[in-house]
Amino acid sequence: MTKYITTYNYLKETKSYADGFIIGIKDLTVNFSGVYEIEEVVEMIQKLKEEQKEVFVALNKNMHEEDLKYLEDTMKTLDSLDITGILYYDIALVTIKMENQLKTPLVWAQEHLTTNYMTCNYWHQFGADYAYLSGEITMDEIIEIKENTEVKVMVPIFGRLPMFVSKRHLVENYLHYFHINTNTKNFQIEKEGKRYPIMDNKQGTVVFSSYYLNGLSESLVLKKHGIDYFYLNFDGIKKEWISTIMKNYVEADDENKGEYEKAIDELLEGNTDKGFLYKETVYKVK
Amino acid sequence: MKKPELLAPAGDLERLKWAILYGADAVYLGGSLFGLRANANNFTLEEIKEGVTFAHERGKRIYVTVNIVLHNKEIPDLIHYLQALEEIGVDAIIVSDPTVISLAHKHTNLEIHLSTQQSTLNHKAVLFWKQQGVTRIVLGREASKEEIKNIIDHVDIEIECFIHGAMCASYSGRCVLSNFLTARDSNRGGCSQICRWDFKLEDEKQNVLEGEKDFTFCTKDLSMLEKIPEMIEMGICSFKIEGRMRSIYYIATVVNIYRRAIDRYFEDPKHVTYHKEEERILRNVANRDSVVQFFDGVYDESCQYYNGREEVSNQDFLGVVLSYDEKTNMVSIEQRNYFKPGDHVEFFGPSMDPVSVTIPQIYDVEGNELDRARHPREMIRMKVDVRLHQNDLMRIKRES
Repeated sequence: MTKYITTYNYLKETKSYADGFIIGIKDLTVNFSGVYEIEEVVEMIQKLKEEQKEVFVALNKNMHEEDLKYLEDTMKTLDSLDITGILYYDIALVTIKMENQLKTPLVWAQEHLTTNYMTCNYWHQFGADYAYLSGEITMDEIIEIKENTEVKVMVPIFGRLPMFVSKRHLVENYLHYFHINTNTKNFQIEKEGKRYPIMDNKQGTVVFSSYYLNGLSESLVLKKHGIDYFYLNFDGIKKEWISTIMKNYVEADDENKGEYEKAIDELLEGNTDKGFLYKETVYKVK
Repeated sequence: MKKPELLAPAGDLERLKWAILYGADAVYLGGSLFGLRANANNFTLEEIKEGVTFAHERGKRIYVTVNIVLHNKEIPDLIHYLQALEEIGVDAIIVSDPTVISLAHKHTNLEIHLSTQQSTLNHKAVLFWKQQGVTRIVLGREASKEEIKNIIDHVDIEIECFIHGAMCASYSGRCVLSNFLTARDSNRGGCSQICRWDFKLEDEKQNVLEGEKDFTFCTKDLSMLEKIPEMIEMGICSFKIEGRMRSIYYIATVVNIYRRAIDRYFEDPKHVTYHKEEERILRNVANRDSVVQFFDGVYDESCQYYNGREEVSNQDFLGVVLSYDEKTNMVSIEQRNYFKPGDHVEFFGPSMDPVSVTIPQIYDVEGNELDRARHPREMIRMKVDVRLHQNDLMRIKRES
């Protein structure tokens, strides 16, 4: 049965429908909103488990030497809490898991690199029981991965998609260089009428898609192929709409899918897209 | 102390030969499949074979990039390709997807280097790859010197670092701007350099936060020339130059300067000096400003082109020496950019220090005197009293 997950900071709006939550940890997480101190996370995990929710923790930034001690301590702490899995980008997590014989399963979540079934199976040998698939692959590719891998497959199905992660402080640098004063914390960059959210914090800069992926109809097809998890990203969505969107996804069926999907499109004023679900990107330029 | 390898890029066979001629110890190139520069010319298997032969005859090495992020449909062809590379005798493959590592181990004895696309920045990750039979790690360009030192101290494996060329604005592998804005897959060879586009930076109410120039991700290039002695002493095994799509002049110039910097250190490590004139030449040849960046822990606005491109001349390359007659001191040059009698120029080559010359009277192939060399690829003859060699290059001599 397919499960639906989102990030912890939308717990209140989604608790009735979500099967699990992804929690971010301060200084170790990128591209999942809501990051917390490890002490807070321990409490969150206990509460979620009492409510029989699955718990994933995203430790998915690129790890530098200076991050390793904190990362290892965090992984050890999480291992004592019996969570569902840890999302990783950096391969240091694989080594730390092996060196410390940690039991917590890993989730291979190398963002744009999780694009084929053989590499899912490769990481499975090293404790990755789950793969969080790239947002840039097609329906056919997702299905083929599911059919050829033993790991549980997570698919981003709704919301803005991550496009870019940098260690550089691109917004801060720009504002500083041109002596621009602003109180805003919410930036976007505009090109040809499309606006891309851009966030600059201690970790660096991230950029997200201009549109919200809305794969509600496609989620029904993928469910039939046994996709294990759908991830919904509610960043940028008005609080009052989140519950409706989550409900529509969870309760969608072949009868109502058109109506439910359209309702979401209307809430988001048409700023929705099918992403790469039907769009294969070009490999050879010429 | 072991002399580090100078590793140069080559987009085609001609560039490969120039890189080796000008002092590269090894060259990396992309095959027609599975590489990350779809719009570079790339090599057929026959061309790779010719390149390998050319390199091995001169005691040099050839590495082939197999560093795309694989999709399902590419898997079946991969094994045959890897076997073909092994048969040709390439010295290593550069990979980012671990499936390539698995298949290479299973079906070949190819040496494997891990691509910078994995953005490896810590010793725990390096240790993992070593345990999987990878023999060399190309570190992420974000690594500081302290991080590089830590990694070298913790894991006994070859470490390769970029020393020169263009920088990704993102962590390598974590940018798909091209996919979203141009439907070209940046992790499968289609990067269309969106990071160099201009954008408007806005607040949440769409008010433009306007500087004198638009917002851009664009970064200056990397130049580690002044850090070469420090990098040698750190024990970095291979110094990598970026730019498989660059020109012959770029490759010859950059390789030549770094070759000389490395050799100078080993000739007299205690008295090695940093040549600012060489740095200026490097900046000119790329037509872009270049800085040290992450090695010194600096990645602020000084590393970026927020101020608009600082355009500098890229017309420095004047000609290629085709032949030199020692009896008459007449040199034959293939013209590449405009020059005329009285211009101050410089010849450089793999076997000589740069030599300054003032252009004397010049002649065409029929011996007619010319007032200037204005036609690209025209053969020009002139008298130069310095011994020159085929494939030496002539560039503008600029005042320091």
